[in-house]
Amino acid sequence: MQKLGEFKLPHFFNYPPYFTLQPVRDTREKQIQLWKELILDFCKTQKIFVIGLEEEFPLFTNHAIERSLTHEAREAFLSALVSEGRAEWMDKGHRKCLILWHRIQDWADILIQFAKDNGLEDGVVTIEEIRSGTESQGTELQGIDRTILNRALKQLEQKGKLVVFKGTSTDDEGVKFSI
Amino acid sequence: MRRRPGIGGLQTHAAARDQFRLLGENVAKIRTDLMKEQLATFRSQLEDFARKHKNDIRKNPAFRSQFHEMCAKVGVDPLASNKGFWAELLGIGDFYYELGVQIVDICLATRALNGGLINLQELCHLLRQRRKNDRGVVSEDDCLRAISKLKVLGSGFEVISVGKKKLVRSVPTELNKDHNEILELAQTQGFVTVEEVERRLSWNSGRAIDALETLLDEGLAMIDDGHRDGKRRYWFPCVSPISSLIGVDS
Repeated sequence: MQKLGEFKLPHFFNYPPYFTLQPVRDTREKQIQLWKELILDFCKTQKIFVIGLEEEFPLFTNHAIERSLTHEAREAFLSALVSEGRAEWMDKGHRKCLILWHRIQDWADILIQFAKDNGLEDGVVTIEEIRSGTESQGTELQGIDRTILNRALKQLEQKGKLVVFKGTSTDDEGVKFSI
Repeated sequence: MRRRPGIGGLQTHAAARDQFRLLGENVAKIRTDLMKEQLATFRSQLEDFARKHKNDIRKNPAFRSQFHEMCAKVGVDPLASNKGFWAELLGIGDFYYELGVQIVDICLATRALNGGLINLQELCHLLRQRRKNDRGVVSEDDCLRAISKLKVLGSGFEVISVGKKKLVRSVPTELNKDHNEILELAQTQGFVTVEEVERRLSWNSGRAIDALETLLDEGLAMIDDGHRDGKRRYWFPCVSPISSLIGVDS
């Protein structure tokens, strides 16, 4: 099985026609489903949060078989993820896509668990600490995309689970939990 | 026999004829009885054989295949019914029934990827993967037998030959001769181009495109426009080697 780093690539990735958007509906649906799963899987294991359509995203090209996804295909697969609520376009031109391999709701749950695990039910912590502090080492929160984190925090704030407050600079932005 | 004159002679003649007829019938009866006896002996010997070699039949596909041939020669079909001696003794009915169900399953699972046409080799491979933990190996012969039983049930399964390979069809799509020829052509590289079809089969452009488009519509082919030579390739998952397709895990 071909690998990208440690990631095991599925068989279809080595079959040239999968890099061409299929015209027949049933075939295309299957193709899109396979690509959606692959993209989500890959982004989750590699902790990739944003895909730029015109950039060198490793899944877009398979050098071994000399095939590359057309822009149309890239957009089709990502749009399918967007329709499913597993991604969001970051711009009107559909050039950048935010990948939600965990949904915002899932991230919110992870944050609550993080607070509980670290005795922060009533505590205060900075946003940076959530992203890169010692408590988050080895957890899914480590290195989390800021946009996604902010969205999850906002959701929890609306539910009254925490309050976000700004400090003197971005580095001081913090959160007070009340779980 | 000498004919005696007169009524007496006629009566004797008639009586003799009757006796011959009776004799003839007896002979026929004896022959039939003999035959029945021979068959009964043979059958019980076959049953003894099956009993003794039950495990070999279960475990060894080559042995199993020869056993079937032997049965066929005497007109015995161990799979004819799920009840009765054979099924109970060997559990063979269950074995093929189970295979049949798994084959149907695999064909359904891969249908979206190959349009309902799967290479027999690939099918067996996937079947073996699925049965990894079960005792006994499954051969292509076993697959073919299970499929022929499926056919009897009218489930639309059929094995077709394309060139040197056997493909299992699980959809009602009828492949005509043109389609068959394209599939055969595709076996070398897994794909064809319109140009290649025209050239190798000496068809005109319309005929080639027609056939290819039908195969595409039926889900048996996929297009590939990514080659740097810019020529569209039509790939056929059903003739490609196993590693080209996604593995179907049970």
